[in-house]
Amino acid sequence: MSNSNLFLKSGFIRAPLQNGVGRFVPQLQRIVLKFCKSNGSSRGLRDFIEQDLVDFAKQNPSVVVYLKPRRHRGPVIVAEYLNGDRVWMGMHNKTHSEITKWIEVLRTQQGDIASLRLRKYQYTDYPSVQGPWTPFTFKDPELNTAKLPDPKYGANNRLPMTATEKLRLMFEKQKLNDVNTAE
Amino acid sequence: MLHRNITYLLDWNLVILARKIHRWVAPTLVEFKRREDKLGGKKYYPRNTFLEWNLEAELYAFGKRLNEDFDSDLLLQAFTDRSYVIKEEIKQKEMGIDIKMKDNRELSIEGEKFIKEYVQLYLETVLPKFPLEGVTSISNHLLSEETLAVISLHLGTKDIILAAEYPVDNFILANTFKAIVGTLLQSSGEERTAHFVRDFVISQLQGKDVNEYWVIPNPYSMLTNILKEDGAELEPRLIGEAGKNTLLACYRVAIYVNKNMISSGYGETVAIAKEMAAREALKKIFGTEDHMKPINFQLEGIPKPNTNVRYQLSAS
Repeated sequence: MSNSNLFLKSGFIRAPLQNGVGRFVPQLQRIVLKFCKSNGSSRGLRDFIEQDLVDFAKQNPSVVVYLKPRRHRGPVIVAEYLNGDRVWMGMHNKTHSEITKWIEVLRTQQGDIASLRLRKYQYTDYPSVQGPWTPFTFKDPELNTAKLPDPKYGANNRLPMTATEKLRLMFEKQKLNDVNTAE
Repeated sequence: MLHRNITYLLDWNLVILARKIHRWVAPTLVEFKRREDKLGGKKYYPRNTFLEWNLEAELYAFGKRLNEDFDSDLLLQAFTDRSYVIKEEIKQKEMGIDIKMKDNRELSIEGEKFIKEYVQLYLETVLPKFPLEGVTSISNHLLSEETLAVISLHLGTKDIILAAEYPVDNFILANTFKAIVGTLLQSSGEERTAHFVRDFVISQLQGKDVNEYWVIPNPYSMLTNILKEDGAELEPRLIGEAGKNTLLACYRVAIYVNKNMISSGYGETVAIAKEMAAREALKKIFGTEDHMKPINFQLEGIPKPNTNVRYQLSAS
């Protein structure tokens, strides 16, 4: 993470308002296309408006489309989402096909996701259905009926192997080898 | 890249790992805030005063978005808050005209009544063993101003609401949502409205623990009372202890009925462990264990009331 992310809002991957558990609600609520009628930088946006806008509005009745012609100003698309986010996107010198793709991005995203730093790539409200770990969680059932003290359970088996023990094992292994070669 | 952001603060033999946040970050934020306050705080411009605003189109899109057919006049009424009507009346009096406007009070009362009844019935159906008090407290949570305001906000009412203030407060948001339900009730009938409430209000329980909304002050005595009706005697037993007399002490208490273990719980003292065991047993009785099946959010129509069985349970 670099310093440019310090002021970035952080959060988790969430569907707004449990969207899709009940019915699906498209999250883009309105889109404003601002453009100039004469300037060349708005050419692509004007093409989009002439050729595709009516179809776009017909296919997405849930999106309110506003057109805002402004003299000698750069072309801009502003998308507003149900969660209150507002995405401003400059369309200077963008071609018709680029604009079509960007509008598709704006239409399908759920908010201003580009300005959210994900703290994790997963999220759950319900971290465990088993409950937290306790000393009794994976207890050996054998212990339930064991009579204590018992050398089997009381043995200290956590120490590392001593040098003496290691030597003894090596010696025994050597003896076995000797017997094998003698035969 | 990690090492760049991690500072090792060396204090003789003590090493502390800390995320490096530049020294200029806090003063910059403070300065931003100071300049903003100097200009009179953060300003909010009402969206409906913008040049690019068409109330009729917004109302149409609102209905399409939720996939519902609203009566357009009623929908506009649902979005009209009382404060707006008062403000407009004063304005009209000054100008010497009189146009009658309707606010959403009646619609919201109607809507609230419907939501309350339906949520109660729905929860009783999907949580058949949960006592009435528990169902009521979940219902109270769902009908609280905060929950309804969040729902309302995410349906995009914030900008459309006609109110004297902007941004609107939680009360107005919640009230508008209730009024929208009331509108739908009048324009599309009960079943569609029920499905609307199910999809937007009840689905808020997704991923939540339903036991959290009901505070049981003394679970052990409640469990005793419930089991007394069946003539069963409770017997708590200490079945495990670890780290006794240490800070990390852990006790495990199980509750037995007729020498059969019904539940177990653990805690840092025996009393807490016993209470947790009782809670666990209650969850089993109520059918709301941690591993319960998720609540069904797809019930069709309005469920039939069946309070007979439940009444006996809650009476205990």
